[in-house]
Amino acid sequence: MTQAANDLQAVLDAAVDAVIVIDHRGQISTFNHAAERLFGYAAAEAIGLNIAALMAEPHGVSHDNYVRSYLETGRARIIGVGREVWAKRRDGSLFPVALSVGQIHGEEPPRFVGFIHDVTLRRAATEALRRERDRAQHYLDLVEVMLLAVDLRGSITLINRKGEEIIGRTADELVGHDWFEQCIPEEDRLEQRRRFEASLADPRGAPAHFETTIVTQGGQRKLIAWNVTTLRDDQGMVIGQLSSGEDVTERRRAEAALQRSEALLRSAQSIAHLGTYEINLSTDQVAWSTQMYEILGRSASEQPLKFEAFVRECVHPDDRVRFEREWRLFRESTGRLDVEMRIVRPDGAVRFVNALAAVQRRPDAWAVITGTLHDVTERQLAEQDARLGQERLTHVARLSTMGEMATGLAHEINQPLTAIATYAQAGVRLMDAPGGADLVELREVLVQITNQSLRAGEVIRRLRAFVKHKGSKAETLQINDLVEDVRVLAETDARLHDIRILLDLAPDLPTIVADSVQLQQVMLNLVRNAIDALNEKPDAPRRVTIRTYHIEDGIEVEVIDRAHGIADHVAANLFNPFYTTKQNGTGLGLAISRSIITAHKGKLGHRQTPGGGTTFYFTLPLVQGERR
Amino acid sequence: MKERPATVFVVDDDDAVRTSLRLLLKSVGLPVETHASAQDFLDGHDAERPGCLVLDIRMPGMSGLELQEHLNRVHSMIPIVFITGHGDVPMAVEAMQHGAVDFIQKPFRDQDLIDRINQALEKDQQNRDGLRERDVIRARMETLTPREREVLDLVTRGKANKVIAGDLDVSQRTVEIHRARVMEKMGASSLAHLVRMVIEAGRDH
Repeated sequence: MTQAANDLQAVLDAAVDAVIVIDHRGQISTFNHAAERLFGYAAAEAIGLNIAALMAEPHGVSHDNYVRSYLETGRARIIGVGREVWAKRRDGSLFPVALSVGQIHGEEPPRFVGFIHDVTLRRAATEALRRERDRAQHYLDLVEVMLLAVDLRGSITLINRKGEEIIGRTADELVGHDWFEQCIPEEDRLEQRRRFEASLADPRGAPAHFETTIVTQGGQRKLIAWNVTTLRDDQGMVIGQLSSGEDVTERRRAEAALQRSEALLRSAQSIAHLGTYEINLSTDQVAWSTQMYEILGRSASEQPLKFEAFVRECVHPDDRVRFEREWRLFRESTGRLDVEMRIVRPDGAVRFVNALAAVQRRPDAWAVITGTLHDVTERQLAEQDARLGQERLTHVARLSTMGEMATGLAHEINQPLTAIATYAQAGVRLMDAPGGADLVELREVLVQITNQSLRAGEVIRRLRAFVKHKGSKAETLQINDLVEDVRVLAETDARLHDIRILLDLAPDLPTIVADSVQLQQVMLNLVRNAIDALNEKPDAPRRVTIRTYHIEDGIEVEVIDRAHGIADHVAANLFNPFYTTKQNGTGLGLAISRSIITAHKGKLGHRQTPGGGTTFYFTLPLVQGERR
Repeated sequence: MKERPATVFVVDDDDAVRTSLRLLLKSVGLPVETHASAQDFLDGHDAERPGCLVLDIRMPGMSGLELQEHLNRVHSMIPIVFITGHGDVPMAVEAMQHGAVDFIQKPFRDQDLIDRINQALEKDQQNRDGLRERDVIRARMETLTPREREVLDLVTRGKANKVIAGDLDVSQRTVEIHRARVMEKMGASSLAHLVRMVIEAGRDH
């Protein structure tokens, strides 16, 4: 037995864990070395103490009750189970222990043996591990990308907070479910799953980068840019994929918007034939827009030209001096450039451009010159065309007026011809008469022939001047002279209709600068309109009056009739091209007349003649501005 | 009976044309009177004066055509030669339809105009001669008794004496006597002559 007792003592002394034996009252009877180390009591001190002294509240207070309850009910809370509790050292400090308790059988009252293992270190390690895990989760949650792990079948095994946020569902709702079914739009599903399977099968398992569309809880679509890596277990077997995804919906949208607006700007510049350029005043760097190259006829691969080279190579030689002067003014004083000039392309083509520029100070403090080059060639040509077209139309209208007047004009020329023929033949007969001609009479015949020839020539001269003249030219003239000419032309028509043309001309009118033929055309047109109006009202006084007078800063010409006047609905359309009330009218007369007068910086209009009828009038300024 | 000499009346609004025409017609010995307008011509015109009109078709105021219309209305028989411009052929045709002698386009050969004027003067003479013959026939017809007028009427319709006798319910002998009296009073040399005179007398009625 002694040997057994010695063996036990050795076991107790060698045990790493504290071994404490108590009786049914909780009084300590055995306290081994490990217990001494652990609790800070010498065995001698501890033996006889109640076990409650070694336990942290509330276990300490309750221990008696535990024991009593066990003894009474036979139901053990701890015996044979083991649990972790807090123990108390001699100095009062607490530490975690794993406690297991056994009953020593065959004794009455019963005794208990407790094995106590200090778990402070284990606790700390576990705690550290937990904290580490929490921190990792925290990192997962903190990153502003979506982290998604799926297994080989595509089931979601992990998703972080950002992922929840993007998809709009919690991890609980997602984990364990098929990623493709849950989040990929139906039309993409098959293709995405194929890609997933292909990448799993890829032996290299290299990280992949791609973008896919996903569907959120709300049915919204989002574009996600993914970085994918293959997940492997310790043995290197592929177990799934880990993907980090970034919601690039907004960025792509913004990029697309930027691209669109850049494209828009490019096409706007192209449509407007507007090139832009920038000159950095610190670095002398020049940048040109695409359209700038187009306008200058240069390849976009060339370097933009610096200012001096631009002037030398692009500006038309005749415009160079002027452009450089304007540029100097812009740089030295005005701060704004606005100049029209010609540029020459490398192929020799000449373009008309409008160059604008201003100096801008950028936030980065570099001053830059920003400018535009507007290709206005088409506009210039169109303006020229329009001017030519207008002149041609004016001329055609004049020809057509002449055509309408042909009968009257033929009559007007035929009259003197008839007189000439008749005089000449009478002269011959006079000479053939017995006794010879009376020379005085014969002389008179010749004088008459001369007069009539001149008369016919005069009509033809006016007619030729009126019809032949095509362009427009400004000359200094006296309006009353023109009125006289118009009367001659218009009377051919008027006489046929038994209408007289009366003149009421102000003396001493100042001269004007104008195109005489065009003004005659206007007046002739107005007079002929008046004649037409009178023909529609047979009881009207058979006369048209042309009146000239001096107005403030100009002269005014009136063509007055006493016919039926102009109805309101006619007046509204009077100057519209192709509007006519006449059966064979072209509707161009008044439209062209107005454009002629407008080109002379005057006004053409109409008013009621006092007592009935219409008065057309036009004004002409005294000092004509510069006309093309 | 040649009374007053025939006159060429020239109406044209153009001074030069008018004056040159006067000189031309004077040079061939034709009496000329010129007027600057239709109204001017009408104001001083005496329908009894023989002659012809040389008329400009286009004129302010009353045109040549209007003057022709007016003359037709008052049964003036003065022959008209129209002078026209190049573009006035339709007007000239209209004038011809209303009885103008001819038209001539300006400018013209003097002989062409003079020929037409002579034609017109001849026509005027014929008109006037015809008028005189008609007056004689009508005066002779005035001397016939009612019964003789009836017989004249039936004879010139080509009826035989026997038929006329039946129509008038008289003897064939009586018809023969009336018929002889009619021939005598009318100064007719034959039945054909008598018929011609009756047609002439019926003109313009």
